[in-house]
Amino acid sequence: MLIAGYLGLIIGFGCLGLLKARQIKRRPLEIREMINALALLDTEIFWGSTPLPEAFAFLKERVDFPWKNFFSELETRLRDGANAASAWESAIYSQRKKFSLLEDDWRIISSLGKGLGRSDRNEQHKQLELVQKHLNSVAERARDNAESKAKMWSYLGFLSGMAIVIFIM
Amino acid sequence: MNVKGVTPGIGFREEKIIRWFGERVGTVLRKSFSWMGGLNEVEEIRLRINQPLLIRTGKNEYFLSSSGQKGLQENLYIVKRDDLIEALERMTNSSLYAAEEELRNGFLTLPGGHRVGITGETLVEHGTIRTLRNISALNIRIANEQNTSLISFLPLLLDRQKRLYHTLLVSPPRAGKTTLLRQLVKSLSDGVAEISLAGQTVGVVDERSEIAGMWQGIPSFDLGCRTDILDRCPKAQGISMLIRSMSPSVIAVDELGSPDDASAIRDAVRCGVRILATAHAESVSELTQRAYMKDLIRDNNFERIVILSRSKGPGTLESIHDGNTGSDLWPSNNKINIRTKA
Repeated sequence: MLIAGYLGLIIGFGCLGLLKARQIKRRPLEIREMINALALLDTEIFWGSTPLPEAFAFLKERVDFPWKNFFSELETRLRDGANAASAWESAIYSQRKKFSLLEDDWRIISSLGKGLGRSDRNEQHKQLELVQKHLNSVAERARDNAESKAKMWSYLGFLSGMAIVIFIM
Repeated sequence: MNVKGVTPGIGFREEKIIRWFGERVGTVLRKSFSWMGGLNEVEEIRLRINQPLLIRTGKNEYFLSSSGQKGLQENLYIVKRDDLIEALERMTNSSLYAAEEELRNGFLTLPGGHRVGITGETLVEHGTIRTLRNISALNIRIANEQNTSLISFLPLLLDRQKRLYHTLLVSPPRAGKTTLLRQLVKSLSDGVAEISLAGQTVGVVDERSEIAGMWQGIPSFDLGCRTDILDRCPKAQGISMLIRSMSPSVIAVDELGSPDDASAIRDAVRCGVRILATAHAESVSELTQRAYMKDLIRDNNFERIVILSRSKGPGTLESIHDGNTGSDLWPSNNKINIRTKA
């Protein structure tokens, strides 16, 4: 019985570590997905002059969860009459828990909302390019960190479990 | 917030206008529509930066107070930059870039055919307007769908074979030219049983998106069952496109305003189609002060010229001239208002 409890502790902590590792691995993927989405949005705005509700409807079909939900919410809010800046902020607020992104990542993404849809195509293009550039540099660092940190967390979970078991014994 | 069906005078139609404005202006308008008994009398809503909010009806104009009543000097609602930005964001679906072409032309068209005139700082590049920024005023012209009693004078615009004469509708702004054009297009397209007029194919070149009030490909106004619409297309290209591809009997265009437009009309009248057009002017003599219009009329390109005014309200039929003889076909003592509420 006691051994089963010890095993449970080790497995439980191990799982927590694996969960954290998975989250760390997801972050660069989510940033990459957003960069791709912004490139598509840029194309829609610059070449297609597509209004934002239609552009977001198009994007939600082209990206995976959780960005799919993010763009879907944006589309709904805009169609309900919200302006782009407030819709962008509200969508970040309600969707961010589903992501593995950090506060700094959200700060960059959030900065885009302020000018979205408020200027001509050239200025929109410049803004989108700038945000993509920022996210690209963040994505590189996130990718470099992800491998080592994820490995560390997956070991750390099991090792902490074992340490606690030894301490109890 | 939503008081549909509760506040007197506020119905679905009023809410569909109020939704284009921000919260503050929307609230003032909702209250004002309430005592005005709805939108029926409203022709224009004007927002000018740092100036009072103004509503114009057919007969009066009102500066509004913050509580939506007729305002006095001390309690007027003053329009702020944020009000204009909010309204413009709503009207463009938060996509100002998608309305660049409209901004260049100085107006937007909203669903329902309402037209929004825009002024601000123009950005000029190589001698042409690139865009408008720092928007300083919006003028929302409410499109009131009217039934027009055409039967009394439509026969004067038709020849013996019941084909439309080349017709020009002339009036100053806000006197019902476009409304009459729309009704003529619909009548020609659907046909009118009372005068044994069979329906015919009508092509509309809607350069300013005002005749059909197209919104994402769907017309806001019913222009009849045999009507093809080319939206936001320059007149000259549009007319030749329609003649080549849609074989229309009649082509309708709005607001002849440049020598290019006049030359497009001159070409079209020699292509076997009938032309129905409008132009801004108070009278034929005023119209012919513009050189390109003078040539167009002197060469008898238009066989009928219909003059409208506001003397008995928008849509007052003043006269119908025979373009060939110059004679007036409509008795001068018979000024009638051809518009009736839908």
